Amino acid sequence: MALLTPFSKVPELNTATVLLVENEEELQSKLANALVQYKKDFNVNVRLARKLPLPVENKETRPRIDLIVFVVNLLSERSLQSVESSLAHLHSDCFLGKVCFLVTDARCGSHTQERLVSVRKLAASHQSPVLCAEHRTVDGVNAAAVRLLNILKVSAGMSPIATTALYLSSLTRCSVTSDLEED
Amino acid sequence: MDALATSILNRIIRRIPNKNIESLLKKWNCLSADQLRALDYTRPKWMIVEHIVSFCEENRLNLKHITTLEMIYHIENPNQGTWHACQLAEAQDDAVCVELTQFKEQFKAHLHGVIRHISIKMKKHEDEAIWIRIAWGDNFSKPNHLKPTYVVHHLHTSYVFISNLMVKHKIFLCQALVIATKHGYIKDGHLSTRSLTAMRDLLLRHYQQVFPNEHSRIPQERNTLSSHPCIGKEHGDHEEMRHQMSCEAFGHSPSPKLETAVYRLETRYRGNGNNTLSDREEFFRGVVRFSSSSLLDSLRHCVASGMAEGPVTPLLSAIIQRGRNYFVITDKSPGVSSQASAQRA
Repeated sequence: MALLTPFSKVPELNTATVLLVENEEELQSKLANALVQYKKDFNVNVRLARKLPLPVENKETRPRIDLIVFVVNLLSERSLQSVESSLAHLHSDCFLGKVCFLVTDARCGSHTQERLVSVRKLAASHQSPVLCAEHRTVDGVNAAAVRLLNILKVSAGMSPIATTALYLSSLTRCSVTSDLEED
Repeated sequence: MDALATSILNRIIRRIPNKNIESLLKKWNCLSADQLRALDYTRPKWMIVEHIVSFCEENRLNLKHITTLEMIYHIENPNQGTWHACQLAEAQDDAVCVELTQFKEQFKAHLHGVIRHISIKMKKHEDEAIWIRIAWGDNFSKPNHLKPTYVVHHLHTSYVFISNLMVKHKIFLCQALVIATKHGYIKDGHLSTRSLTAMRDLLLRHYQQVFPNEHSRIPQERNTLSSHPCIGKEHGDHEEMRHQMSCEAFGHSPSPKLETAVYRLETRYRGNGNNTLSDREEFFRGVVRFSSSSLLDSLRHCVASGMAEGPVTPLLSAIIQRGRNYFVITDKSPGVSSQASAQRA
């Protein structure tokens, strides 16, 4: 099974690439637009996908991926199931700070709370951070893009302080809270 | 003007928003320019109706003129009521030579011959459609102008669109159409919608059809969000293929606006869960109904966005291919019924 590996390609100069994986394909295009248009001092490439594994045909042209973001819409059961099945196609090296979960609609309804707990458990078991985003307004999308850019900077190794992707997972332990640790 | 004409006029004017009344009256061309100028459209409706009635009495207009107004109103606003499509079949050799005047004469002659009291009005619209308004009476009573039937036919096509026809008059209308257009018989088209334009576009193929093609893919209407050079799509090919498949099955947007599709099932139950239902000899009758404000657009979006798996089942693509939205699905079982085919044509 062809796994997505993080270090199999050479990085480009002053460029970072983020892969947005979302089953519904609605937030990812808005987020991609916000990411490329935000003022920053390095280039950002965005790849959009529906699920993993990625098509083999693109393997040559695809740049090195620095951050993989799984977008989960908590209103839909299928969204979470698709992310769970996609996780199996990642090499275990990716979980050293190159994977991040982004959830939307965390405040709507009662089913979303249960799903949020399962997403946080999933992220905690994979040592990855969870971000909550509000996707219905332009400001919400921009805020999510800024947060993703901060994480991307670290994952791509562009942070000037000696913060590497390896330490990212211990710095952003927001996925594991005290109530989850008691379980 | 008698009470009937006044009530019909009242009904028409009440339905239209005030800003459209003026253009309708101008098209009608029965009121003089001074009278039209004197009408004040900011007043309440009942005042406007009163004014128009008084002008009509001044000009000595009668029921005939009012029914012309009603017809013009329906021609301008065709998408109300329920329209049904019928198909003419077995064209005789000289069916293509039927001219407008010949059609009109034959149609009127036949109907006047079988029903003593009937009122028929015909009008040719600029897009080659013939509109017919029929107020039915019988041998003893006058034509009922409050419930007229409207028929639209494009000459030399085999489709007729009918609205508001009662069952007892259907046979007379069908006979008249068959004779006037020189065909053998007329059959039910199994297509009914609220919107006449949608029905006409679908049957006369006025929408943008997409044919299966080896090489060129139709361009998708992508908004500028994903055209930035730094944004790349991993599944771009799959998306295009899905889009092509959905447009082949349901037409390119904008598609004709159908509202429903109904499938009546007369098949045997074939699930493997429920034992009491599976072994029966008789049919499991059910009705599956799809409704939407624009059915073909919704189905196309389902397939193009990947929510529904392709390839598209022929049961759904038959809506556009065969131009109907009522299907009866029977089993291909020997010895049970005489319908040996899976879909009744």
